[in-house]
Amino acid sequence: MTTRALEAARNGAAAAPAAGLARLKRRAGRWALRGLAGLVFFFIFIPVIFVLWISLFQQQIVSFPPEGYTLRWYENAFARSEFRHGFGLSLQVAFIAMVIGVTSGAAGAYAIVRFRFPGREAFNNLLLGPLVVPGIVAGTSLYVYYIMVENLLDVDFRGTLHGLVLGHILLTIPWTVRLVSASLVGLDRAVEEAAMNLGAGPWTTFRRITLPMMRPGLVAASLFSFIQSFENLELTLLLVGPGRTTLPVAMLNYLEFRIDPTIAAVASVQIVLIGALMLITDRFVKLSRIV
Amino acid sequence: MATATAIGARPGGQRAEGFSLGPFLLVPASLLVVAFLAAPLLVLFRYSFNRYSPREFMVDAFTLENYARFFTDAYFIGVLATTVQVAAVCTLVSLLFAYPLAYLMARTESRWKSALVIAVVFPLMVGNVVRAAGWMAVLGNEGIVNHLMLSIGLISRPVRLMYTPFAVYVGIIAVVLPYMILTLQSVIEGIGREVEEAAANLGAGPMTTFRRVLLPLSLPGVIAGGTLVFILCMNAYATPVLLGGPQFKMMAPALYDQFTRTTNWPFGAALAFILMTSTLLLTIVGTTVLSRRMHHRKLEAAPR
Repeated sequence: MTTRALEAARNGAAAAPAAGLARLKRRAGRWALRGLAGLVFFFIFIPVIFVLWISLFQQQIVSFPPEGYTLRWYENAFARSEFRHGFGLSLQVAFIAMVIGVTSGAAGAYAIVRFRFPGREAFNNLLLGPLVVPGIVAGTSLYVYYIMVENLLDVDFRGTLHGLVLGHILLTIPWTVRLVSASLVGLDRAVEEAAMNLGAGPWTTFRRITLPMMRPGLVAASLFSFIQSFENLELTLLLVGPGRTTLPVAMLNYLEFRIDPTIAAVASVQIVLIGALMLITDRFVKLSRIV
Repeated sequence: MATATAIGARPGGQRAEGFSLGPFLLVPASLLVVAFLAAPLLVLFRYSFNRYSPREFMVDAFTLENYARFFTDAYFIGVLATTVQVAAVCTLVSLLFAYPLAYLMARTESRWKSALVIAVVFPLMVGNVVRAAGWMAVLGNEGIVNHLMLSIGLISRPVRLMYTPFAVYVGIIAVVLPYMILTLQSVIEGIGREVEEAAANLGAGPMTTFRRVLLPLSLPGVIAGGTLVFILCMNAYATPVLLGGPQFKMMAPALYDQFTRTTNWPFGAALAFILMTSTLLLTIVGTTVLSRRMHHRKLEAAPR
């Protein structure tokens, strides 16, 4: 503060008032920039804030100001089977898709980063491919494909757990390949060589050195894979069946008719779950360094 | 554990001679993507040349009539035009809004920086449906915006904000802003602070520094963020359905309707490929125009 005042005084003494005006202008500009940035920040948070807020409203029809606050809509949300089952199914699908997607994706990323072979770049593009295809297109193509396969093989795919999981693995593979590749590229190979020189076998080196060094990438990949699957709507829309609906699809069906504190309570549960997952993961891996 | 042995056996990884099992680690993931993305897309592509018949549902054929129908039907041309318009406007607006925040986040030395980054990622992670629900509470007739405007006497009866194009714009911009912010931030971080200081020392004001130094240098980020956001906007589904209502049609909901309401698979399949092709073409055009401009700037600047 004092140095700034000193500097200002020195400059003020030396230069004409015009310089002071320019300085004032610059300072105003800086505050305008900060103000705008703050507004943008607030803007992206508006929907989250309002969902959390109205889930606590006393009255059933959303209007402002609230007549009071209550937690009963959470009870009400839990009592509705489509949300309870949807939540359970989404957890199940996201967990299984995460395990399969992260395992196979990490193995693929390892091969791409560590080995040189023809078609390496093409494989990399193939595994990142699901990011490029719009969710709704991937979903409809899986829908017609499942019907075709069902007719050929007499096995159910639509509205089944395995049908959903196989689709959702597509969401998890590209994230895993990206995050694990990034963590592998930054890995110092000298440490592995040192372990080998000290007599560690290849498998020991992999298990004791390489795998622990890959951990941040694997943890981040698991988090993002789980979330991508859990909140997915577009790819899932046509793959769910009667009585087997994921949470986002159940929410969409409800929201097409009304917005009320019950659906806000469901959405709040999802917000809290995802927030908690991100915070817990951040304790192990610095998320800000990954995204 | 045979594969694991193979992994460790080549710590150098560069050995060209001999046969290595390493690349076989790609097999599971590649098979999954081929079987559940590539193959379904091929089937859908094939279906787009079939013929639709209300009685027999889908007839095997090899016709271009589905594509021809799209380009001769004013309704669907309108849907595509709306989609492109929404995507273009949302991309531009989010670019304008994201830049200041991205700049401050890139330049701050605050210890809250990582918290700020996570805070930007968070809304992106909670999902589009949840965020659409939030906007419904904000923009509805009984929503907070109408409530505030009524209580300060700006309006005498609620203004319709929900189920309007405006609501869709607001919703989509909020969805894509985090992507734009994060892309721009990482690129601006890569631009040395000393470049800006040099410009300032040479007498450039903040606006000139931005226009002549920062913006041209961050153009790769603008292109990358713009492309990503444009693609996301073109494919938006949940936001237009929930905030735009049934009257407001964009490509993704229109495509979905063909499979659920009208069950015209061949035409729906054609819509899918028209959506993907037009997105790809528009992104290529946008990227080349912008990078050519960047190139021109460089040539102009060189002799000076």
